[in-house]
Amino acid sequence: MVWFVVGIALALPAGLWLVQVNMEEMTVEWQGRPGLSVYFELDASPERIYAVKRFLVQTPSVKTVKVTSAADALAEFKNYSGLGDALELLNENPLPASLQAQFADGITGAVVDALTERLGQQVGVGEVVVEKTWLERLNDISSVVSRLSVVLAILFGMGAVLVTASSVRLAIEARLDELRVLKLVGATAGQIRRPFLYFGVIYGFGGGVIASMLIAITVLVIEPPLQSLLGSYDQALNMVGFDPIFLVVLLAVGGSLGVLGALIAVRQRLAALEIF
Amino acid sequence: MGQIELQHVTKRFENGHEAVADVSTSFAEGSMTFLTGRSGAGKSTFLKLLIRAQQPTRGKIFVNNINIAGMPERRLPRYRQHIGVVFQDHHLLSTRTVFDNVATPLRVAGLSEKDVARRVRPALTTVELDGKEGLYPKHLSTGEQQRVGIARAVVIRPKILLADEPTGNLDPALSRHIMELFARFNQVGTTVIVASHDVSLIETMGARILNLENGRIVSDRVTEVPSGLENSSGEMS
Ligand SMILES: Nc1ncnc2c1ncn2[C@@H]1O[C@H](COP(=O)(O)OP(=O)(O)OP(=O)(O)O)[C@@H](O)[C@H]1O
Ligand SMILES: [Mg+2]
Repeated sequence: MVWFVVGIALALPAGLWLVQVNMEEMTVEWQGRPGLSVYFELDASPERIYAVKRFLVQTPSVKTVKVTSAADALAEFKNYSGLGDALELLNENPLPASLQAQFADGITGAVVDALTERLGQQVGVGEVVVEKTWLERLNDISSVVSRLSVVLAILFGMGAVLVTASSVRLAIEARLDELRVLKLVGATAGQIRRPFLYFGVIYGFGGGVIASMLIAITVLVIEPPLQSLLGSYDQALNMVGFDPIFLVVLLAVGGSLGVLGALIAVRQRLAALEIF
Repeated sequence: MGQIELQHVTKRFENGHEAVADVSTSFAEGSMTFLTGRSGAGKSTFLKLLIRAQQPTRGKIFVNNINIAGMPERRLPRYRQHIGVVFQDHHLLSTRTVFDNVATPLRVAGLSEKDVARRVRPALTTVELDGKEGLYPKHLSTGEQQRVGIARAVVIRPKILLADEPTGNLDPALSRHIMELFARFNQVGTTVIVASHDVSLIETMGARILNLENGRIVSDRVTEVPSGLENSSGEMS
């Protein structure tokens, strides 16, 4: 029970830290090639698509342009979603053709805005999505997550300490008679304290184990959908941070928080222990 | 100087009450003393000061020429390992067997299990509890429980044995039996101080009687070695 509470208290900030580290990794990768996507209307003719492509190719701030036809999009979607058979049942391809453009280096936000506006006015264009805004959002999210994980780490860390402290305090309460006798017959403070510090370590360590299990399960659950999501952005999912060092640190942090909790409880309860 | 020497010892609590007030006295090595007086006279506080369960507000308490009033916290465990203490409610651990209860001070002192067994058995023999070592306190009679408490106090072979109302809830015959046990430890050289308000019993024990009133010693006398069971009921005020 204590293990679970401590585990959850550790898992949340640790998990968020992982999310944040991975997001940073992604933004680093993405920052290199911002661009935009143009999604055409379903009935856009190939001529229209070609016209938009030519327009972009002629735009100096655009480096490369790649067209994904509706058929390509469907094939790709079948591939990633695993819904191939279900899609066979549809008479028409529900996916639009699209076009991905990569900006030249050093493009300014104003140029991107102007370009977006002009593209949006083209006949047959359904939607223009600028990856830059996505990126900025991701950056924002990542810094929010980073701050959130610091705040949560502090709050939940304190929570873990308090939970172990109160569990250890209960353990002390339950053995108060014994502790009085021990103190009376000359047990040292260390002798009296030791079993409770072990309690703290075990609670904290167990919490660390539970936390790493919770995180491992979460990673397992979200990895496949995340992979396909990232695949559609041409990104390979490359989880970083969830490695042996992370686990060792998690256990060590758990153990230390446990000891800290135990020390608080011991200090509160045993210092003033009346021996008779 | 006696083995235990109190010089102007005062214990004043936060509320201003003086449970022990300017007491000076001494206890010779191998002596036997009863501490008596009404409820609230300061008997328990007196004993607590001797084991430094409480710190005197003023005064000095020398035990073997060391002022324990000024003894640093970290040296108290060692000091306490050499003093046996018996209580009225015997403070036995209900989840431990008789053997384990008696063994506690030895284990705290770091003796090997072999030495622990070697010492626990004779201690149980002295208090006539042979064969009971595997039982739990709840299976014993009150008198037997009290004797386990005594065995635990003497198993370390203390030079000083303190007891606070050790016969508090025992019938007269059992009380006498327990007191005689203390007298026997005294005969082998242990300094014994027993707090008790069982006046009629201690009057017959042939020992020093210190009478406390409001934290002060109001009389200090030695009764004659008993010549029978008659009760000299004179002194107590
Ligand atoms: N921690 C404390 N704070 C305040 N007053 C206390 C404290 N401990 C004891 N006293 C008071 O000191 C006085 C002496 O108490 P003590 O326990 O020494 O008496 P006693 O002679 O052992 O009594 P009894 O025969 O009932 O055991 C009492 O008036 C008691 O109320
Ligand atoms: Mg008392």
